[in-house]
Amino acid sequence: MSKAVKRTIPVGKRRICIYPGCSLTASSRDFADSLFQMAKMAGMWVEELKDWNCCGASPAHSVNPEYATLLSGRNLILAQKQGVEDLYVVCPSCYIRLKEAKHKLANDEQMRDKLFQAYGTRYTGEVKVRFFLEAIEPGDEAIFEGHMNRSLEGLNAVIYYGCLMSRPERVTGFDLKHYESSIIKFVENTGAKVRDWGASSRCCGSHLAVSRPELADRLVDRILDAAIQAKANCVVTFCPLCQVNLEMRGTAKNRLPVFFIPELAGFASGEVKAEKWARRHLVNPMPLLKINRIL
Amino acid sequence: MNRTEPIRIQAGFMNEVTERSGQMFNSCFQCRSCSGGCPMAEEMDYLPNEIIRMVQLGMKQEVLESQSIWFCVGCLACVSECPNGISLPEMMDTLRQIALEEKVTVKEPEVVAFHQEFLGQVKRYGRLYELGFMARYRMKSLPALRDIPNYMKFLFSGRLSILPEKINKRVDMKKLNEVCHV
Repeated sequence: MSKAVKRTIPVGKRRICIYPGCSLTASSRDFADSLFQMAKMAGMWVEELKDWNCCGASPAHSVNPEYATLLSGRNLILAQKQGVEDLYVVCPSCYIRLKEAKHKLANDEQMRDKLFQAYGTRYTGEVKVRFFLEAIEPGDEAIFEGHMNRSLEGLNAVIYYGCLMSRPERVTGFDLKHYESSIIKFVENTGAKVRDWGASSRCCGSHLAVSRPELADRLVDRILDAAIQAKANCVVTFCPLCQVNLEMRGTAKNRLPVFFIPELAGFASGEVKAEKWARRHLVNPMPLLKINRIL
Repeated sequence: MNRTEPIRIQAGFMNEVTERSGQMFNSCFQCRSCSGGCPMAEEMDYLPNEIIRMVQLGMKQEVLESQSIWFCVGCLACVSECPNGISLPEMMDTLRQIALEEKVTVKEPEVVAFHQEFLGQVKRYGRLYELGFMARYRMKSLPALRDIPNYMKFLFSGRLSILPEKINKRVDMKKLNEVCHV
């Protein structure tokens, strides 16, 4: 840890270094905002990885896997230089890309040489890439209980993990099963009801929602149909792209608002900015929130 | 499949894909688990397991000109299912790369344009400039008019930045392009 960094940490707070990813700086900035709010509740000091760059998302590995590895690799080099031990990644897609790059760099000498050529620093592989949920342990959801000032009773949520987050641990390095009951408990602690359903890990169409919207329509319809059958009135998600796709795509007339999971904590804690977040949704959640006297 | 020409087989194709993707296609025994889990399977012209079979057989042109390779979004459903540990998304990555290198007739130009425009933004700024990306991509490909109200809503509610986010050390992106020859 460098000296400059040490000075900025307030006493008694745990320092968390995050990799936000491009969408959290623009189309999903409310996700970032509400997540930081939650981190504050948990007594964490959140810092961004300085000068991070795009992980390459789907396009980079789709047309040039080597470029994708080196692009994500720059973030690992930066983390290494900045003395970060655990890099917490918010977006599930970025998480997979960084993890993949780490894996490739660990096994490929040539790739490490190329990384050195590009950025002039030797890669050591010490930085651990983690999904943001790993900043807390299962059971820690109790921390947030004390901050819930108002009940979200009336919200019937289905939790949509999306594809990448719910894959087995041997594939992604993150074990959702370990956290699943904790996530459900967290949502129930806000007063909302969690509905069981079968589409929690179906793919939303990812980037094809932009280039081939009609294909994504069909996938999203299937997910939202399942949600409506489960008698849900909102969807809770973890992924910035899933959130946009589920609100923008699909042909159904009856739309469900799709919340980021930390937004629920914002609503329940009576956060002043929560109304601003709600108003930025493509599917207006205000009628639902007003009827249930949440906002 | 209606065809008048004979299928051309390229003997070294499987080895080429194996070497570049690091996947062992010999171990595939066509159990079809990958296709069963694939969310895009019903839209594809060849199922994922068929693509593997075609790679094994060396049907290079058919594989590279298929829709399937562009419809794979890398959701990892197949990887979770495969009993032989083949990573199909990595195979698809390699196939797409070969298709672009050999300049075959790509079945899904819209998807290719998406990837290239996205990377263009990253090469320029080091991060994705969503507004610029959407505007440019929509101009290149057929405009999906139905999305314009959504983009407007994004823009006016402040969910899109007007100016691009840039990294400070943009020279890194230049060096990266040199190293990767892109």
